[in-house]
Amino acid sequence: MVDTLTDKVAIVTGAGRGIGKGVAMQMAAEGAKVVVVDPGVNVDGSGTDSSVAAQVADEIKAAGGVAVQSMESVVTMDGGEKIVQTAVDNFGRLDIVVTCAGILRDRMIFNMTEQEWDDVIAVHLKGTFTVVKNACILFRQQRSGRIITFTSESGLMGNSGQANYGAAKSGIAGFTKVVARDMGRYGVTANAIAPRASTRMISDIPDSAAEIRARSGVETLTEDFDLTNLDPDHIAPFICYLASDFADTVNGQTFLVYGDTISLMSQPRPQRSIYEPSGHWDLEVLSPMARDVLTKDINNPAPPISQ
Amino acid sequence: MPNLLKDKVAIVTGAGRGIGRGVAMLMAAQGAKVVVVDPGVNVDGSGSDNSIAGQVVAEINDAGGQAVACMESVATMSGGETIIQTALDNFGKLDIVVTVAGILRDRMVFNLTEEEWDDVIAVHLKGTFSIVKNACVLFRQQRSGRVITFSSTSGLYGNSGQANYGAAKDGIAGFTRVVARDMGRYGVTANAISPSASTRMVSSVPDEARELRASRGIAAGGSTVLRGGPDDIAPMVAWLASDEAAHVNGHVFHVTEGLINLLNEPEPVKTIQKNGKWTVEELARVFPSTIGLELYNPAPSQVRE
Repeated sequence: MVDTLTDKVAIVTGAGRGIGKGVAMQMAAEGAKVVVVDPGVNVDGSGTDSSVAAQVADEIKAAGGVAVQSMESVVTMDGGEKIVQTAVDNFGRLDIVVTCAGILRDRMIFNMTEQEWDDVIAVHLKGTFTVVKNACILFRQQRSGRIITFTSESGLMGNSGQANYGAAKSGIAGFTKVVARDMGRYGVTANAIAPRASTRMISDIPDSAAEIRARSGVETLTEDFDLTNLDPDHIAPFICYLASDFADTVNGQTFLVYGDTISLMSQPRPQRSIYEPSGHWDLEVLSPMARDVLTKDINNPAPPISQ
Repeated sequence: MPNLLKDKVAIVTGAGRGIGRGVAMLMAAQGAKVVVVDPGVNVDGSGSDNSIAGQVVAEINDAGGQAVACMESVATMSGGETIIQTALDNFGKLDIVVTVAGILRDRMVFNLTEEEWDDVIAVHLKGTFSIVKNACVLFRQQRSGRVITFSSTSGLYGNSGQANYGAAKDGIAGFTRVVARDMGRYGVTANAISPSASTRMVSSVPDEARELRASRGIAAGGSTVLRGGPDDIAPMVAWLASDEAAHVNGHVFHVTEGLINLLNEPEPVKTIQKNGKWTVEELARVFPSTIGLELYNPAPSQVRE
């Protein structure tokens, strides 16, 4: 056992499978006491299975680590409070929260139902808030803490058929930047990870959506990469690094992590600019400037198909 | 009367005041028939006032334009459907949706209540979805349409005390990029505006939070000095809504006073790789001198060791 997280207490949501499981296992191996949070739902959010979190906790214990499972859902404030309380009750403190919990309900925007929207926003976006907010109360008091959230290239760059998921995931990126600014002064850091890995969430994207995308020539992100060799366990080392005392000044950033590649993502910055010194554009003046300078030869990710 | 938007039908949410009002007025002046959507709530989402949308409609009519008022809230799917139906019932079609509606409930994250979170997410994020989804059903059928949403520098850069608003606004940016990819092939474009302007929403940021930030040296993120008025945002929105901007899809524009920036797409800027799985010790050795070099910390720790 290595010891970069010795005596730390970590909550990992969505830790029953995939990336979350890899994070929980390695954090335990690095010496952390881990709350393995997973209600064991299906990828679409339906059902529950209490054996999923328990299995990971058992694996950790079998390897000589310390863990406890929690079946709580992250989608209510009450659930978030209970999860944080589970850490405090079992291990006396909390140092790290990692919010991997997520579901998928892919659908083209014009067919997406209210339920599909609400459920995905609830688990990802509110599910990140409920855990982070309650952790921040403790982190502020103790003047330390680590927050690691999960965003996605689907939101950062856009992936057809995922308006709900993309909104939730880019919302998490924005949320994390604000939390970094709210909590930094108290010795807390907050960073977001955009992972690429081969997990059950990727394989859940319906074939019909992939077919629609392919037929219509819409650029997709996942098709560009061979995900089959991207072991979800390889996301974990960098998460553990961010959670460790080594990374105490890394705050408010977004990282792309896949395989054994780690990239810092750019902050938004102006790529092209036009300026009207008077402060107010007349449309007659703006039109040629917008057309010929600001947006000339601009990339269109999904050009119109001529009928 | 100029006619960049002649015979177009536009829905503008949050059109009773501020940036939305400026957009509605300019679109009408450019020949569009406008559904002025605004339940007339306070900045925190409370109350309602049916004179707010009516006033903007009256102003548009007085100037020789065409407009109709709508009091529906954007926060439910049925509200979104009713708003779309208002455009069809009054003007027979729909070409443009501009989603400006928003509220503020600023609070440091450790004090942010569930209601403050839910309300802001509902109006901004679901309120954008409820309009855009229903518009896209029509836009797909007619093989044309313009979606213009409102993001914010609060989410894009992060602004202390706005975890709910920042999440919603960055969420809208991501949502818009996906909609652009879902709808582009049907001749529809979707773009987001990140405005800086002095409006009542900005003035609702509690003085206490402002002072707290200032006294504690927390970087505010984007420009803290707000220049220009809400009407300065409208010209770029009107242009994006026009036929001239058919090639512009999936982008975010920052607009403040006379300055219009095309923002970059998020991209990797520094990368480290190895053959095989990293260890934490290796990362502790390699990260600080590579990715971590001169990495900006927006709110450095004030904790004394």
